[in-house]
Amino acid sequence: MLTYAFMRLLYVVPVALGVSIVCFALVHLAPGDPLVSVLPPDASAQLQAEMRAIYGFDRPWPVQFGMWLWRALHGDLGSSIATGRPVVEEVTRAVGNTVMLALLAALIGFAVGLLCGFLAGYFRDTWVDRAVTTFAITGVSTPHYWLGMVLVIIFSVLLNWLPAVGIGPGGWAWDWEHIRHLILPAVTMSVIPMGIVTRTVRALVGDLLSQEFVLALRAKGLSEARVFRHVAKNAAPTAIAVIGLQFGYLLGGSILIETVFSWPGTGLLLNNAIFQRDLPLLQGTILVLAMFFVVLNLIVDILQAAIDPRIKRG
Amino acid sequence: MSAIAEDVVRIATVAKARGYWGTVLRRLTRDPVSVGCAVVLLVIALAAIFAPYLGLADPFQGSMIRRLRPIGTAGYPLGTDDLGRDMLTRLIYGGRLSLVLGLVPVAFAFTIGTTLGVLAGYVGGLVNQVIMRVMDVVYAFPSVLLAIGISGALTGGILNSLISLTIVFIPPIVRVSESVTTSVRNLDFVDAARASGAGPLTIMRVHVLGNVLGPIFVYATSLISVCMILAAGLSFLGLGTKPPEPEWGLMLNQLRTAIYANPWVAALPGAMIFIVSICFNLLSDGVRSAMDVRS
Amino acid sequence: MQNLVRIAAVASLAFAAATSAALAQSVVRIGMTAADIPRTLGQPDQGFEGNRFTGNTMYEGLTTWDLSSADKASVVIPGLATEWAVDPNDKTKWIFKLRPGVKFHDGASFNADAVVWNVEKVLKQDAAHFDPSQVGVTASRMPNLRSAKKLDDMTVELTTAAPDALLPINLTNLFMASPAHWQKLADAVPASVTDPKERAKQAWDAFSRNASGTGPWKMDKFVPRERLELVKNAGYWDAKRVPKVDRMVLLPMPEPNARTAALLSGQVDWIENPAPDALPQIKQRGFVVYSNEQPHVWPWQFSRIDGSPWNDVRVRKAANLCVDRNAMKDGLLGGLMAPASGTFEPGHPWRGNPKFQIKYDPDAGRKLMAEAGFSKDKRLKVKTQTSASGSGQMLPVPMNEFVQQSLAECFFDVELDVIEWNTLFTNWRKGAKDESARGAHATNVTYAAMDPFFAMIRFLDSKMAPPVSNNWGFINDPEFDKLVAVVRTAFDPAERDKALAALHERSVDEAAFLYVAHDVGPRALSPKIKNFVQPKSWFVDFSTMTMN
Repeated sequence: MLTYAFMRLLYVVPVALGVSIVCFALVHLAPGDPLVSVLPPDASAQLQAEMRAIYGFDRPWPVQFGMWLWRALHGDLGSSIATGRPVVEEVTRAVGNTVMLALLAALIGFAVGLLCGFLAGYFRDTWVDRAVTTFAITGVSTPHYWLGMVLVIIFSVLLNWLPAVGIGPGGWAWDWEHIRHLILPAVTMSVIPMGIVTRTVRALVGDLLSQEFVLALRAKGLSEARVFRHVAKNAAPTAIAVIGLQFGYLLGGSILIETVFSWPGTGLLLNNAIFQRDLPLLQGTILVLAMFFVVLNLIVDILQAAIDPRIKRG
Repeated sequence: MSAIAEDVVRIATVAKARGYWGTVLRRLTRDPVSVGCAVVLLVIALAAIFAPYLGLADPFQGSMIRRLRPIGTAGYPLGTDDLGRDMLTRLIYGGRLSLVLGLVPVAFAFTIGTTLGVLAGYVGGLVNQVIMRVMDVVYAFPSVLLAIGISGALTGGILNSLISLTIVFIPPIVRVSESVTTSVRNLDFVDAARASGAGPLTIMRVHVLGNVLGPIFVYATSLISVCMILAAGLSFLGLGTKPPEPEWGLMLNQLRTAIYANPWVAALPGAMIFIVSICFNLLSDGVRSAMDVRS
Repeated sequence: MQNLVRIAAVASLAFAAATSAALAQSVVRIGMTAADIPRTLGQPDQGFEGNRFTGNTMYEGLTTWDLSSADKASVVIPGLATEWAVDPNDKTKWIFKLRPGVKFHDGASFNADAVVWNVEKVLKQDAAHFDPSQVGVTASRMPNLRSAKKLDDMTVELTTAAPDALLPINLTNLFMASPAHWQKLADAVPASVTDPKERAKQAWDAFSRNASGTGPWKMDKFVPRERLELVKNAGYWDAKRVPKVDRMVLLPMPEPNARTAALLSGQVDWIENPAPDALPQIKQRGFVVYSNEQPHVWPWQFSRIDGSPWNDVRVRKAANLCVDRNAMKDGLLGGLMAPASGTFEPGHPWRGNPKFQIKYDPDAGRKLMAEAGFSKDKRLKVKTQTSASGSGQMLPVPMNEFVQQSLAECFFDVELDVIEWNTLFTNWRKGAKDESARGAHATNVTYAAMDPFFAMIRFLDSKMAPPVSNNWGFINDPEFDKLVAVVRTAFDPAERDKALAALHERSVDEAAFLYVAHDVGPRALSPKIKNFVQPKSWFVDFSTMTMN
């Protein structure tokens, strides 16, 4: 197990490198000017050339990439072209905000999803199953940002119970005033993961319960609790994979939901960086996010191996 | 345990002999929910395909004075949109692009993803690591950036969306199928099959795939609506479907500020995405149940 | 004992009075359309919305705009300079007399040294405080300024590359930041940072979080991407413009529905640019909508390269006559638009008296098209590039589709090429001949028309063709060039206005663009806010408003 974990850890390096190269290439291939945020449209060609030289964009790509990578390894991701602030600071703050949202949304989505999935799988084809499935399917089928807008209209505009936008006054604090701001966006974000987890777990559980050896186990007189443990153990690896994936998407931040709620997270940051072609910010953010995903996948793999040692990938 | 495993292999082989897909179809037609959903989807798809022959209004003809008319207005059964165009027409024509944008990327991603995932899961070792790590790299990419990058190379808006969305959905499907395959691969009846002399390809096809397709199929069909929504997000940013093409996601975005003026009309494209997604999900559940020979 | 009780009573009353006075601090919370707080270090980004919120609030320039009236055109008036004149013997030199007694927020005095320092921050590449990130938004707006020299503590001499009568107008874009405060922050940068450019960058970053200008508002709290809180500068040099409200909170809210919801739920008191369809609800709930014609134009900028269908003046005029701007205004935009009949409307000193009246007259338009050889059976194919969204673009897609349908009635077959905003903007700089134009015959990029260079010269002067500036269509008309030259050398303000009017007249008579609309800068305010004036400008004076 430890060898497996160690080997997986080693692979993080080439993946991170691969991500930075592809990211760098894509961003430079995309049409549009990386200096658009600091150069207005009527800037003369001479000014453009000067600025390009100052920002180092006139050097050949491999050189630019190499310099960026070298500094990144020392913890310096450069400064955003549009704001002049250090990228590390921008990314840390945005990631912090998104993680909060992701955690609450994950909590709601996965807890409810697992519960519903197990219920539906155990009581397959009964009314419990139908009710739960309908609920889950509704979640997956609704355009989530539209749902968010509707929730805002109901709970903010009409009922005035919860705030409509933003993260709360003056930075984050663990008080009711700030948690109020978290509720609507988190609920909106939890809807899709909830639906996906429910459906997947239901399928897994249903499959497992109908396999021959489960019938055999019951025939042998094994208690329901033992059967449940058996089912859970076998369903866990795939369930964890799906949950890991969904958590990854939540962490990446949903640009649509963060726009609807003006939530200053990674989705909004990334979107702004893309549209302003803010190369340092874009590269830095994608690198950090990619590392997150890589580590997340690593944890998922290790968890799977821990729960079911028969899972041997090596 | 091995006696039961042998039974399973025998039952599976016997079922094959009787015509597996014939059985599946028969069981499907006996389920009212699945039949209902299939009918709804068929009606929507046919209406979309034969739209020009249905005697509808022109989906591109608008009128400033008749903006955002409510549902049930004379001559405009489902109201008009923000440029005065007939909603009924645009919803039906919109089905063409929306269905394509929802289904094609998921279908391609499903095919490519399952192949890669099962391969990685079954073979293991270096092949597994290489495939999964490459998928890690692709997974880390925001779909918007991918779409913009591709738009530099291709100018076609819809092709752009199709390609970026397919690429975006491959990694999750690979991960899920690899995971399921790895679990199944170690189950005893697979060992039994191997012991009885079946080759790896046969095992993959008959036993592994049979068990793996189920959960992946369910996961993939859940992605159809997500795909339609992501396609809408891309078109909203100027990548993907371009106005004035009717497409449900784009219409949903364009009508969203109309939610204060006429919420019902604004909700219609969302309702279409909703109905289609629900039908796909329920139908896939039905197919899943029908495919399950053991119960 | 009784004394103690009395003292306690008085003390508690005083305390209650004090806290309620503190609590009675008036606060106005504003939802902006920007996705991030515009830069706060003196030269804002994000276009004129940036200038509005983080430029003219905390800072000022040597000259500024008159924002006091809703009816008169907004013109340039003295700011931190009280008077200025060009040297009659050397028209490239200007003498500016500075306003005495002005202090920066950190207490340092404003003087000629400060002016020279601020000019050098964007023009002198080897200056210790040079900031390349501020060059783009400044140098391009003052293309001719070369250097500044202190003559005495209250007098500065500015030098231009060539005689340029428009310099005083351009100087509204150069905001004065406090050199003393910057230096203090620069000295505080850790000694481990040895590269001078890196030190300057970090100093400017620190300055953006701890700003010091001369404006009526001071920075109090700044959380990047979340909020900016400004408080009133009680020591502002113009007692009449010390703000009546104590605190202003600026919040970025790029999504129109989110802004509307924030206003309706009481989370903010003021939103910029409400969605037109939400207006009836907003008004019904008692909020007040302000709007006023803005120096902003929503046009189709025609390509005039060889082979362009727009080279025929009859075709250009026909297009201008075939768009029903009032229907667009009332039907599509909920009244939030001013129909355009040129860059400047009647009442503006630079309007002139154009002979060609731009209005909705489809019959006249069709007649012109017939003269040009087009008819119902022989239609003219044109292609226009535009974006799906973007600052200042208003509602680009619906508006373009409306124009597309309108022109269809005058024998035009319009094809729209909708691309992403950043790409459109970049293409604008490249010009109609570049392959990025993808064969488009017109581009739909909106522009601010506050100063003559931005409003007309960069489009009409043949020397301003790409890659120099934004004459995207390569207009090359000796008459235009001659009129521009007259403008540049008309140093007397009255002469200058007359020259600008002549230039404008010709641009309308030649139908240089398809002039469609002016933005009206709508904003929705809580009824508790009174005494707010919205001038005919992109900028707003936040000092006059009061909050109950």
